[in-house]
Amino acid sequence: MNSRILKNIKKDFLIEFRNRSAVNISFAFAGITTLSVSLAAGGAPFTPVVHAIIFWIILFFSAMSGLAHIFIREEEEKNSLFLSLYYTPEEIYLSKLIFNIVLFISISVIVTALYLFFLQVFPVYPLLFILTVISGCFAIASITTILGAIVSKAGSGSSLFTVISFPILLPVLWTAISLTSVSIDGAGVQEYRNIVFLLAFSGVIVSVSYLTFKFIWTEF
Amino acid sequence: MKSYHRFVFYFLIFAVMPGVFLRALIWTPTAEFLGESSRILYFHVPVAWISVISFITAGYHSIMILVSEKRRNEREYKAYNAAYSGIIFTLLTVITGSIWAKISWGSYWNWDPRETSIVILMLIYISYFSLYSALKENVNRMGISSVYLIIAMITMPFFVFIIPRIYPSLHPDTLINADKKIHLEAAMKLTLFTSIGVFTIFYGYIYNLMNRISSLELTMQEKTNDN
Amino acid sequence: MINIEADKIGKKFGKTSLFKNINFSLTNGDSFYITGPNGSGKSTLLQILAGIQNPTSGSIIYRSDNSIIEKEQYKHYFGFTGPQINPYEMLTSIENLKFTASESADENRLIDYLEKFDLYRHRTKAVKYYSSGMKQRLRLIHAIINDPEILMLDEPCSNLDTKGRDILYDVLDTLKKDKIIIIATNESNDINLCSKGINLEQ
Repeated sequence: MNSRILKNIKKDFLIEFRNRSAVNISFAFAGITTLSVSLAAGGAPFTPVVHAIIFWIILFFSAMSGLAHIFIREEEEKNSLFLSLYYTPEEIYLSKLIFNIVLFISISVIVTALYLFFLQVFPVYPLLFILTVISGCFAIASITTILGAIVSKAGSGSSLFTVISFPILLPVLWTAISLTSVSIDGAGVQEYRNIVFLLAFSGVIVSVSYLTFKFIWTEF
Repeated sequence: MKSYHRFVFYFLIFAVMPGVFLRALIWTPTAEFLGESSRILYFHVPVAWISVISFITAGYHSIMILVSEKRRNEREYKAYNAAYSGIIFTLLTVITGSIWAKISWGSYWNWDPRETSIVILMLIYISYFSLYSALKENVNRMGISSVYLIIAMITMPFFVFIIPRIYPSLHPDTLINADKKIHLEAAMKLTLFTSIGVFTIFYGYIYNLMNRISSLELTMQEKTNDN
Repeated sequence: MINIEADKIGKKFGKTSLFKNINFSLTNGDSFYITGPNGSGKSTLLQILAGIQNPTSGSIIYRSDNSIIEKEQYKHYFGFTGPQINPYEMLTSIENLKFTASESADENRLIDYLEKFDLYRHRTKAVKYYSSGMKQRLRLIHAIINDPEILMLDEPCSNLDTKGRDILYDVLDTLKKDKIIIIATNESNDINLCSKGINLEQ
């Protein structure tokens, strides 16, 4: 099963690499949003909480613009039936999940670098900051994978995706924002517990998605 | 339902329930600090309780849809009806809550933990219905909506852990918090409990009615299909 | 030994009934055609047999050596092709085949099939640039590449030129002796190829 999942991931990367427009647009969106915020801020002093909020809002909308693509492409190009004839739903789910995780971590690297540089933010607890971004990305990628599959079957596109993702992403955003603001200004206790919380949340979502994916993907 | 049971049921709804309302509005003594406005307690708390019950019912039926093939049609409309009534009661909760908040604290909305959880519940319902209507063309509509509801259900316990931490600087809402019953006198407690009980039975009645209508619609549809 | 049984299959979409009370039983060596006017449900019946769609009444039973197979396992027993099955356009044919072929298939086997269907010289072009006939040949290769016991073909001759059809019938003649072949079609040549079949015209 592992080699088949790897085959699937390789195929996805190959396709996205050859037709780079979708991935490029995701990266461009992330970069442009970060730059617009820093330009609009114009050096105004933000409190750490505001920095945290804006940072995670940028990440949230970057996720909304890019992470459903991997399923929507299968539906639009009419490959989903082809795919489901040769691979089980579980294999498909895991390969899409890993793709989304890799994609979103790359997007967050870019957003983090641009944000820290242009807004001149230097986290007092860099380790906490990095761990927050990584675990937040895991959580967001896990949720958006299953919801992206759901939305691809509905055919309404990314606005529906934003609507249904928002309530479920709220705990992730709240936790990540509070952790990020602590790591930026150094006030408050370093609560690594919350990182565990984010990872636990991802774990639960991935397990449930793994079990229920076949109900979305195939007609049962 | 046997006619005896039906009589008791209707008695509870049509006689006892107005009785409870009267009692809530007139007879029960008012709370110390809030004055007359505390009477909203007897409507607000039951309605909030019922929106949570609807959510749990919808979630239960959604899980059962995915778990077993039998009686799937029945479970599909049961889940949908539970969600439908749920969103209405959630809306009522928000309205009664903000009226009370305005009177007690001077502003309609305060982002305290309870209010926030109800808003999140409402967002989940709204997303559920958006998804349901977007899936109109899809045969698998109920299955996909059920998966969404299950995922939303899973995030609820996580909300419960986070919410108290997020808005720490709010006014304490000890009187609104239904768990702190120590603030209620015996008479108020009695009214509150009977109100919750009667509202629950009322909800059961409405839900049952909705299900019976859906079941009839389903039978009618099957009959026209067979012809 | 594999056996497919269709028991009182019916399909309704909302109020309209597409077909009902379809019964047949197939085993190795049978070649079965499904025909009927446009819109009569040929593709739908084929997809129901493959487990891709569910019937509104009746059931499908697959048996392998007399033990019943679960619906999730059906895909291991058949090769399916049809207009709704589209290989990835951004990949070349050989990449697509490597993607769908089982682990035991080595590259030579893939190349053999590509040569047999006269696609070998196009193997480095992305499927996006193929003509519809070439795409159809690629679909057929996908259906037979893993040597399945059952072949389900939905309009296999669509878009094929005479040479393509010759290749296809050649392959089918070899395969029909010990496999189950099910073809949904309107072509008389396909119908003549088969040992039995049904007409969905009501």
